[in-house]
Parts: sequence; C-alpha cells; structure tokens
Amino acid sequence: MDWDVLRQYAPILLRGFGITILAWAFGTVFGMALGLVISLAQRYGARPVRWVLQAYIEVVRGTPFLVQLFVLYYGGPLVGLRLDALPAGLVGLTIYGSPYFAEIFRSGFDAVPPGQAEAARAIGMAEPAIVRRILLPLGLVSALPALVNFSIILTKETVILSVITVPELMYQVQRMSTETFRYLEANLVLALFFWGLVELISRGGRRLETRITRHLLERPGHG
Amino acid sequence: MTFKTTLGSLLLGAATIGFTMPAAADQLEDIKAAGKIVTATDMHYAPFDMLNNGTYEGMTKDLFDEVAKEIGVEPVYQDIPWTAELPGLEVGKFDIVIAPVTITPERLERYSFTPPIADATVALVKAAGNDEMTAPEDIAGKTVGVQQGTAQFRQLQAYGETLGGVDVKEYGTTDEAYADLATGRLDAVAGSLPNLTYLVKNRPETFAKFEPAQFGEPTYFAWVLRREEESETLLAAIEDAMAKMTEDGRVEAIQTKWLGSYTELPATAPGQ
Amino acid sequence: MFSIQAFLDSFGPLLWAARYTLLVSGLGIALGLVLGALVCAAALSRWRAARFVAALWVSFLRGVPLLVQLLLMYYLLPVIGINVPAIVAAVVTVGICASAYISEIWRGAIGALPPGQSEAAVAVGMNNRDLWTRIILPQAVVMSLPALVNELILLVKASSLVSLVGIMEVTRASQAQAATTFRPLEVYIAAACIYLLINLCLAGLGRYLEHRMAV
Repeated sequence: MDWDVLRQYAPILLRGFGITILAWAFGTVFGMALGLVISLAQRYGARPVRWVLQAYIEVVRGTPFLVQLFVLYYGGPLVGLRLDALPAGLVGLTIYGSPYFAEIFRSGFDAVPPGQAEAARAIGMAEPAIVRRILLPLGLVSALPALVNFSIILTKETVILSVITVPELMYQVQRMSTETFRYLEANLVLALFFWGLVELISRGGRRLETRITRHLLERPGHG
Repeated sequence: MTFKTTLGSLLLGAATIGFTMPAAADQLEDIKAAGKIVTATDMHYAPFDMLNNGTYEGMTKDLFDEVAKEIGVEPVYQDIPWTAELPGLEVGKFDIVIAPVTITPERLERYSFTPPIADATVALVKAAGNDEMTAPEDIAGKTVGVQQGTAQFRQLQAYGETLGGVDVKEYGTTDEAYADLATGRLDAVAGSLPNLTYLVKNRPETFAKFEPAQFGEPTYFAWVLRREEESETLLAAIEDAMAKMTEDGRVEAIQTKWLGSYTELPATAPGQ
Repeated sequence: MFSIQAFLDSFGPLLWAARYTLLVSGLGIALGLVLGALVCAAALSRWRAARFVAALWVSFLRGVPLLVQLLLMYYLLPVIGINVPAIVAAVVTVGICASAYISEIWRGAIGALPPGQSEAAVAVGMNNRDLWTRIILPQAVVMSLPALVNELILLVKASSLVSLVGIMEVTRASQAQAATTFRPLEVYIAAACIYLLINLCLAGLGRYLEHRMAV
C-alpha cells in the first residue's frame, strides 16, 4: 500500500466521488419520475401510446448504456444536438434508468389486488384518487425492494460517464492509476467508495421498507 | 484462445484451476521449456495492433512474430484492455506486454523496456478543411484532446504552457478523442505520429495532420517486461533478436509496410 | 456522415463475438439463479449465522463494482497461488455477482406477500412445506418476474466487462472494430442491435412466463 499516493490524490478522488453521487441522485430521481409516468401512461393510455412506450422500454432497456451515451454524445451533434459532457451524462442516465423503473412500477401495480380498486370504484372514488390513494401506496410497498435494487445498480452505471470525460470517480481513479501504476490502491478506492455508497442506499431502503410495510404487520389477518 | 479451447477449459473448470509454480530463476528458460511466450496487447491501437474481421494483425504482430522465431518459441497473442495489462504482467499472467508503451522515466523505475519499436513523439491532427491552424503553435488558446495519463499528455501540457495556455481535455482512449474531434467539440487531438498518420490515411475526408505534425521531445514506443532479475535473460534475448532484425532489413520492411517510411531506432531503451 | 456500409460490415465480427456474450451471460445467469435461491433461503432462515453470511454476501457483491470483483478474481488470486482460467473466472464472477441481486429480488417478493395468507394457511393446518411450495413460492416467483427480467437483461450487458480478462465479447469486438475503421458510431449501433436482439428474447420469455403463471 502506498498511502502517499492516496493522500496526494485525495482531493481529486473526493471531487470525483461528489460527481458520482450527483449523477446517481439525478439519474435515480428523474429516471424514477420518468419511469412512473411511463408506467401510468401504459396502464391508462390509448393502445398506440402503449405500443410506442413498450417499444421505448424494450429498446432502451435492451441496449448497453455505453452505446446510448456514445450515440447521444458523439452522434447527437450530427443531428444538431450538442450537449456538454455532464448534461449529456445526466440526461443519458435518466433515459437509461427510466424503462427499468417503469417495469418495476408496472409489477408493483400488478401486485395490487384488483378487488381494492374495484371496491374504491364501487364506493364512488374517482379514477385519479384511486391512483393516488390505492394504486400508488400499495404498489410502492411491493415495488420498493426492486426500486432500491435498481438504484444500487445505477450507482455502478455512473462509471460509464468517464467515457465522455465526465470527471467522476472512475475517471479520477483511472487518472491516478495511469500516472502512478498503483493499481491495487486504485481498485481499493473504487471498492470502498462504492461499497460505502451502496451500504447507505440499501440501509435507507430497508428502513423505508419496514416503515411502509408496518401497517401490514400491525393488522394481522387482513389481506 | 479459441472458442473450443475455452469451452474445454470451462468443462474442465475445476481440473484446470491449478496452483502456480514457485517462481523459477530464469524466465527465458521457462519460456523455452514451455515452447511458448504468452503476450498481452490491446488489439485496438492501429496500426500497431488491430483486429481485422477477428484476425489479429498489425506492426506489433509482424515484429513479434520475428522476435519469437529468433528465440525459437511460439507466440501466444491475447487481447487485454490496456487498464489490465500492467497489473496482469506484475502478477505473471503474461510474460510480456507487447502493446506499444511509451518509454518514460516514471515507467522505467517500475518496468523493464525492450529496444524501441517505433517513434512515439507527440503530434497533432485537426479536422479536415480547418485552415485556421497549420503549425503546432496554432493550438494556443484552443481545446485539444489527448489520451489520459499518457506521455503524450504530459508533453502536450508542457507545450501548452510555453504557448501561454491550451485547454487540454483527457479521454480514456484516443478513439473517443477522435470522435469528439469529428463532432467539433475539440480543435485538435494530440497522439503519437504513427497512430495519427494511420488515422488520416483511413479517414482523409474527416481528419488532417498539422504541418509539421510533431512537437516536443523525441520519445519511443517499446514493449514491457517485469523489472526483476529472472527477466534479464529474456530481455537480452529480445535485444539480440531485434539487433539482428534491424541488420538484415526485416525491421525496415515491417516499418515501411505499416508506417510508410523507415526511421532508425536506438538499439536499447533510452534511459534504461 | 453515417455510413450504412460500415454499419452492415460490423455485423460479421460482432456476431462472431456474440458467442462469448451468450456463453458468459447464459452460464452466469444459471449460476446466479441457483446461488441466488440459496442466498435468499439463508437470508430468510431462522439461523442468525446464516442470515449474517447472506447479508454480508449481498452487501459486498452489490457494493463492490463488478469490474473490481473480476480483477480480484483473475489478477489478485494468483498472488495467493490460485490461478483460474479466464473463462472460468468470468463466468464465476458474473454468476456470484448476479446471485446477490437475484436473492434480493426474491427476498423482496416474498416479503411483500400479505402475512395473512401464511397465517391463514397455518390456521387451516397446512404444513411448512406445503405453505412454501403452494402458497409462498408460486406467488413470489410470478411477482418477481419483471424485476428478475430487468436483472437478467442487465447481466447480459454487464457481461461486457469480462473483456478485462481477455475474452473477446460483443462490446470489446466493437471497440476493436471501431479502432480499425474509425467509425465508432456505426459500429456501436450495430452492437446495440445485437444486444437488443438477445434482450428482446429474454423480455419475451419473461412476458410469456408472466402470462402463463399468472394467478
């Protein structure tokens, strides 16, 4: 181990980690929002809308993020879309995550027993209220572990932003290892930083999980 | 490694998980006993290393084929991404890294270098049709892309300071820098002359060289060995082979084939 | 400008390399499903030690990037004298990493089942084995299918990392092709088409199972 190298590179590594967290948070929040909109539009939209969205899901989910980012950043200017590295990366992450989130929301909504919505309709609840008060809260409960799982996966996808020169953690770690040949230290940095981030996310997720499933446990016998 | 042998080793999985032998005293003897020398290179670095429809070819391969023949062993070629090459060499996954590595004082402290295989002096390309810049000093105040952590990067930075400032942008590989030059985000890309010459030859409608293309200190590409006693005989054998090949004109023929011209190179790694 | 010719020419070498993508991701998925079931069982077990090991397994494998895991497996194990062939290292690493995500998906699905069901089953005198094979697992498997398909598709794409140990799969082959032709955009879009084809098959299979098994 060479602590001097780590000390010397600590400022740029920390700055890189900051950008990694920023990219992850942005991609998770906006990707989740877009995914929610897509899954609701798929549930309530007209047939052509559903068809177009399904195609969007399959294409975006089925192709590697590296390729999507490459096309957006290096291919975009060919059709007049010129984004800088960081905006391109953030937009790319949002688009990349959205179909995964949409599929997770879909399965969450599917897990809500249809009788719940039917009962609400029977007592005269309006459709938007059913979505807001029945579908969303119940669907979220069963979707939560998968949502946390995918947002953890998204932390690792941020390293691909290094390809378009976004100075996130991977980019800085590569700079350190090509300049100093300290490969062991470089991998250790990657492992520890990501492990820490992922631990935080999954702990937060578990806490949220126990909180929102509490009502299931408090009233045994229902369901 | 072929698909079939891969399948084989997968089926044998457990059986082929061996324990490495204790380090022997002499790498050259081991290689001769095995009858093969295991190499690693990044097979996307034209014109040195490239894959043409799945077949490995390039200047490195032509040179190393001859070197292996002189030593009397079969070369085993593997495509390993650049980031994994030096770590893999250090733990003995391969005998030698035959990707062209620029000789620098920092690397000489940690690794042994073979005699140079090509000129690696830094040069510049721009977009075809850009008449605003012609000589290297015209990059003052412009945005120039270069591969992260390379010797060429250092030289570009130093040169930029003498010009009063150049906006240097670092990329993981030069391929991405070329792509960004094509989009117009970059004004120029710095790299070694052989790579840039090959690029311009293949995409003359998109890229053009500066006149003169090169600037900075002369540097060289060479192959890399572990810096340890047991590798010394192997290094000597490679040095002898390359001296012989330079003498009988094989090096000249290979250089002319891939680079279009011949440059005489030092017989040992400068500074070693 | 975009060259259709360069795009079409890329398919030869890329399809050839797709063998490795299929091999590594196929075996990795198989290993991941088996190990994932075991880890999930451990996570839900009555024994504290088993739960602890499962939690550590999931935390480490989800936390440390696959790239680093692969480097550990291939370039660090030799230091302590264990030398694994590249393809074995690739499949095992991908499978082990997948098991962490898969076990979490299953654990989540089982946890989301209304507890009243199990209680009712126990109340009518169902034994533990029937409770699992007739009530819990059938529902949990169906519920987890969309998330599982998501994960498997990610795995196919993550298999590109195995190029690090010298295996020429689709992503690596496209990088090589791009570096010789200097037409990255055309080559990468061709690579995207190949991944899309593989993943459409996976997604289609997932939807088919979902409809078949719907309760």
